[in-house]
Amino acid sequence: MKLQLKRLISQIILFFSANLGYPNAPGLKTGFCYPFFYCQACPSATAACPLRSLEQSVDQGNVTWRLLLFPLLIIGFLGVLTGRAVCGWACPIGLLQRGTGTVARRVKKFSFARKLGTYKAERYLRYIKYGLLIGFVFVTSYLIGFIFTDICPVGFLTGTIPVILLNPGKFVPNYFFPVALVILILFLVLILLIERGWCRYFCPVGALLAPFNKISFLHIAVETKECVHCNVCSYECPMGIDVANMHRDPECILCGKCVTACPNELITFERRGR
Amino acid sequence: MKKFVALQVCALIVISGALGGMFAFTPVYDEVRSGIVLVLCLSCLKLEPKAIANFTFATVDNQSHPAFVLENLSQGVVFLHYSGDSCVGCDIMYPVIKDLFSVEFGKTDMFHTRVAFGNTSVGYVYVNIHHTIDELRDSQRIYDKDHVGGIPMFTIVTLGYDHGKVKPKYTTVYGTFTTYGYETYEERLLFLQLLIQDSITMYNQNKAGYPHH
Repeated sequence: MKLQLKRLISQIILFFSANLGYPNAPGLKTGFCYPFFYCQACPSATAACPLRSLEQSVDQGNVTWRLLLFPLLIIGFLGVLTGRAVCGWACPIGLLQRGTGTVARRVKKFSFARKLGTYKAERYLRYIKYGLLIGFVFVTSYLIGFIFTDICPVGFLTGTIPVILLNPGKFVPNYFFPVALVILILFLVLILLIERGWCRYFCPVGALLAPFNKISFLHIAVETKECVHCNVCSYECPMGIDVANMHRDPECILCGKCVTACPNELITFERRGR
Repeated sequence: MKKFVALQVCALIVISGALGGMFAFTPVYDEVRSGIVLVLCLSCLKLEPKAIANFTFATVDNQSHPAFVLENLSQGVVFLHYSGDSCVGCDIMYPVIKDLFSVEFGKTDMFHTRVAFGNTSVGYVYVNIHHTIDELRDSQRIYDKDHVGGIPMFTIVTLGYDHGKVKPKYTTVYGTFTTYGYETYEERLLFLQLLIQDSITMYNQNKAGYPHH
């Protein structure tokens, strides 16, 4: 079976696994945290968003170590085994961006969109997600109690919208709704303009997983000595990585597109070692 | 190469050991399930429920009233305040409730008292679902009459007359009351005062027929 088809099946299975909590169908509500970005406010959510647990662990200066360590250890466990493969093979928002990626690739033919992904400052923009994680998930929760999940676009998409659709007329917007709606629209524009734009620049869960790429058992290895630098791999990479020159890049989501694309089969999945 | 593999193996052992230890020796799994997955923070959902503050006899799934509510109900109206951590709506309502009953307590406390209200008293029970016992936490689902499943939530239990019997009757209101048309601190306070006043009137009309009185 082709690698990308396997990945699609994996993403679909994990999407349904993340949604086994709808009442009586089968109503599985667990006490786990997702190792990816998905909202517990979704009516069919099976587990909790890791960011919500992290926010709650430092709520207004009261540190609860259990809630802090629990999501970090779940993410760490998978991170050491597979690095950021969770983003490429499991995350439902990754699956969504796989769909919008086709549009983003078409948009990329226009010069303004091409510039967006290749601008000099682009590699620095990737640090925004670390800033979001520290600033909006930890610092503001710790100091003032304002939390990222109140304006989260993924929460809006997977929680707020399904709740409104399933309970017509039962809810009305609160004070966060307009802000969150604007952020959702910007989120959608972003992922339609730039392939995996959310994963590249803004995903705080991706920021948690990214450092594990440096030590994970599973990683992408490139035979750089034999590489002819045709750049087919970099063109195919949805994360915009210079694949031919990468070594355990924190941005790599191990989707394997470069593995499939390399005409000389110099890029492979490795299970251990450097 | 070998050093790197050793590092990977060590990291895996430490993380999986710590994770296994957390499952085995801490209540974190239950805390996440009952405090995050099962009960939603309404501000997190970016929505307010459009419920009506009407009194009803029917609890969710016809569950019986918790023992601590019945015990308090023999002395007067019971006010249940469900709140939680990392919840902006709860933070907005917290000072309103403190001023409503002129009480002082910490947001993470388990707090229960009888407070004077007019010329009678109200049993006030504060339930922070992230810092409480199962009996109090589970009562939230019993009184979630509109199946909102979120916090902040306020329940007032009083007495009513139903087919020849006096029984506990309650109402539940949710969120920060913007859907009821109350958007300021004063309006929220007045809304709750009137609601409690109504429930006290109902209690006084029916208490003579309540077998536990």
